[in-house]
Amino acid sequence: MKSAFRLGLTAAALAVLALVFPIQHRSVLAASTASIAIGIDHAGPREIEETTQKALARDYATAWQAMTDALDQNRAGLLSANFIGTANDKLTATVQEQSKAGLHQHITDQGHSVDAVFYSPEGSAIELHDTAHLQIDVMDGSKVVHSENATVHYVALLTAAENSWKVRVLEAVPGF
Amino acid sequence: MKEIEGKVKFVGMMAIVLLLMCCFAIATHAAELNIPATVTAGSGLTIPSSGSGNATLYVVGPGTAIKRTVQLGQEIQLSAAELQNAGRYVVSLDGNNASFFVVAGPVQSIAFLARPSRVPADTPNVITGTAFVFDKYQNLVLQPQPVTFELTADGQTVSRTETTKNGVAFAKLDSSRKEGAAQFVASSGSASVRRVVQEVASDPCSIRMTAVRDKNGILARTDPIHDCAGNPVPDGTIVTFTSTDAQGKSTVDARIKQGIAQAELPASNDATISVASGVVVGNEIQWRGAQ
Repeated sequence: MKSAFRLGLTAAALAVLALVFPIQHRSVLAASTASIAIGIDHAGPREIEETTQKALARDYATAWQAMTDALDQNRAGLLSANFIGTANDKLTATVQEQSKAGLHQHITDQGHSVDAVFYSPEGSAIELHDTAHLQIDVMDGSKVVHSENATVHYVALLTAAENSWKVRVLEAVPGF
Repeated sequence: MKEIEGKVKFVGMMAIVLLLMCCFAIATHAAELNIPATVTAGSGLTIPSSGSGNATLYVVGPGTAIKRTVQLGQEIQLSAAELQNAGRYVVSLDGNNASFFVVAGPVQSIAFLARPSRVPADTPNVITGTAFVFDKYQNLVLQPQPVTFELTADGQTVSRTETTKNGVAFAKLDSSRKEGAAQFVASSGSASVRRVVQEVASDPCSIRMTAVRDKNGILARTDPIHDCAGNPVPDGTIVTFTSTDAQGKSTVDARIKQGIAQAELPASNDATISVASGVVVGNEIQWRGAQ
């Protein structure tokens, strides 16, 4: 009798958890920030110095944080400190279009595997291959219209600014 | 007791039904739309749909966020303008979801980094050119593309063709023997970008000086100074004259002016005078007071 009661309670609790868990899961992860480590073994023709590697990892992680915030809050102003050129233009356009349509994207960054694949001879441009693990929720107001856990490959081109690296190109690609 | 047992069974049954409903909802939610995996930038897309009545279409991608009411059972058009930017797009229609990629079209423009803007003449691998290739919508073209780098100076052209990898190609070229403005061009398909690289004389090849007595001491003067390719070393280049005698050492830094450098050194009856510029050391003069 007691075991049947426990079984019933457990099943009920599981059902409730199955309904509630996705929302809780998202809200917990939303607080986390991108974790970026950049491999430099395949970079060339110029060798990447350790200080450059660290600066790159810091600035690329900051750029991702800015992008996810901008797409979630529809605030294009968050982008310009980390994005430049076409990347800035296209992300700004995304935010503007989202805002017009009443949409926003909640992207939970679950980590990156990044390799530098090109460092220009004069040291002003670096290209990265980034495999990002993301939880993407497309929201219409507060309603989730698309939700997925995706592994997305990005090609990123960063150029040296005064005291940081800025993302000039950020394109998702089918693969490397 | 039986009543309680019945209630427990009812709660358990309800829970199982709830779980099954969740599973069913997830399964129907995962149904896929019939969309190609990749679309070329700016070419548009037609999505077939089935069913009847109205539904809301959502499309989100780089530079695009669409919320549109569409008629189910009819083809849904996404225009060329809506799919210009390379990247990943997600589509949601009536609970069905899909994603696809827009990829870059043919090369239409080049971002060309040419360094440095001023180089010494006749020096190997001193000029570097890096070319990033883009389509008409400023998408990085990742398919391999030939890029030709051409350096023209004094009527002579050096050309090298490299193939892009990950959207970028680069080349290192020698500077030409003659100083002057070199035209450095990167081209791919119909796109071409030109930069100017100023080639200047490199370090002096040799320095020859003479010395004469003048009213204040010794006037040391070089012959016209050239690099090893015969280009005059630019005015303003520092030349150092040194005189060493029993009193000690006197050093004068002089700039090349109109091709030569000169300096006035203290009077001495027995001195060794030397001249140098950068790493190049010129001739040495043993000065005697009678000279």
